[in-house]
Amino acid sequence: MITPVGVGRDAVWPALADGRTGITHIEDFDTSKLKTTIAGKCRDFEPEQFFDERELARLDRVSQLAIAATELAIKDARLPESALDSYDTGVVLGTGFGGQRSIEEFCGAYFSNGQGRRSAIAIPKSMYNASSSNIAIRFKTRGPNLTVTTACSSGANAIGQSFHMIRYGHAERVIAGGADAPVTPVVMDAWKEMRVLSTKNDDPGRACKPFSANRDGFVLAEGAGILVLEPLDDAIRRDAHVYAEITGYGATADAAHITFPDPEGEAFAMMRALKDARLSPDHIGYINAHGTATKLNDASETEAIKRVFGNRAYEIPISSTKSMLGHSMGAAGAIEFIVAVLAVEHGKIPPTINYEEPDPQCDLDYVTDGARRFGCQAPLRTAMSNSFGFGGNNAVLVVRELGK
Amino acid sequence: MTKEAREAIEDVVKDIVAAELRSERDQLTPTTHLMKDLGADSLDALNIALRLEEAFKIKIPDESIPNFLTIGDIVRGVREHQAQ
Repeated sequence: MITPVGVGRDAVWPALADGRTGITHIEDFDTSKLKTTIAGKCRDFEPEQFFDERELARLDRVSQLAIAATELAIKDARLPESALDSYDTGVVLGTGFGGQRSIEEFCGAYFSNGQGRRSAIAIPKSMYNASSSNIAIRFKTRGPNLTVTTACSSGANAIGQSFHMIRYGHAERVIAGGADAPVTPVVMDAWKEMRVLSTKNDDPGRACKPFSANRDGFVLAEGAGILVLEPLDDAIRRDAHVYAEITGYGATADAAHITFPDPEGEAFAMMRALKDARLSPDHIGYINAHGTATKLNDASETEAIKRVFGNRAYEIPISSTKSMLGHSMGAAGAIEFIVAVLAVEHGKIPPTINYEEPDPQCDLDYVTDGARRFGCQAPLRTAMSNSFGFGGNNAVLVVRELGK
Repeated sequence: MTKEAREAIEDVVKDIVAAELRSERDQLTPTTHLMKDLGADSLDALNIALRLEEAFKIKIPDESIPNFLTIGDIVRGVREHQAQ
């Protein structure tokens, strides 16, 4: 993973467990006309460590993040060359904004009456499937190559679809996850007009306050989260480090409003994920919430969790790692699923930071006093990761620790 | 065209090729081959043509671009299109 709190699992997990923030002031473009001047930028990511100059010129930042995160994941999974250079290895990547930064550059050139710098690589650099295709080109994965774009649930949908591809025999292994690099002047301005970004610019690290009554919106971020998914037996046979077992995926559409969340669609996605995993609500010991810190999401998500879990909703630790990482759009669902994976593996639940004031609409246990030990209801630690996107897309994943 | 004029064009061509292909400018000679020596592909060739059009205020017809194989080819091409 590449996130605003660090590059790679060994940097990201301790930071999240410690409740460290990755939100800072934006410094790489003029923010004087914006109401929000903070974001989650991956400051520790050094593209030069992964790419030469010519490659950098050909790749939008989103592709750089996606490919670099893939390289980290493949190394970690110790996938042999023969497993990569194969028609049985797929790539499914989620992204909300694709090559947005490049699109803005090329639009700028187009609308500048010939003053701007034209380019022959505008299309291959900015198309939405540039990242997943570049992963295939670099690592020679020849199986199905798909890009999923369902706004903020893209990364979770990508992982869920990959999980089902493997379960139903459409691929032997899939490089799955999400990447987004939407912190650009145009996107920041567009979100500003929707009035959903936090404007607590004075203290960036404390701006994003999921579930707190004084929350005022999300903080935009960039990042990438990539997993290598394969059948459990294969991973054990080749003696790979198996982090956890993905057991359930549920996806629904609210079919209601393009931005306004509907607890019914969200709840149904959670129930479907549980059914897919053949688990009951009693088995879930942690929920990594979508938890954007908008007024609407946090209230709706809380209501949806209550509809699924009934009175048990009050007993389940729920945290929003967006409080530390911000909202990386199409990458968020993937990064947060990896957080849930690490939580079941390490037996530790990362906190929701910046919580200050109780909200009667958000009255569950949001793990607001630092990380917590993963209590175990079921025989195996099991977590749920929620991702809800504009358009009314809901994607829920269930993961459990590896059985002994 | 004088030697000086030709060298002036060659200077700019080398600047553009070195910048687009991230290659060492000092290593470029009239016989340096864009594809074989510098690893360029057709997208690079199109971008180089765009930069040449901007730098020399010329219009390079699409059918000329595949003929730009070496630095020398490009210099000759630019001279021809300047003359037109």
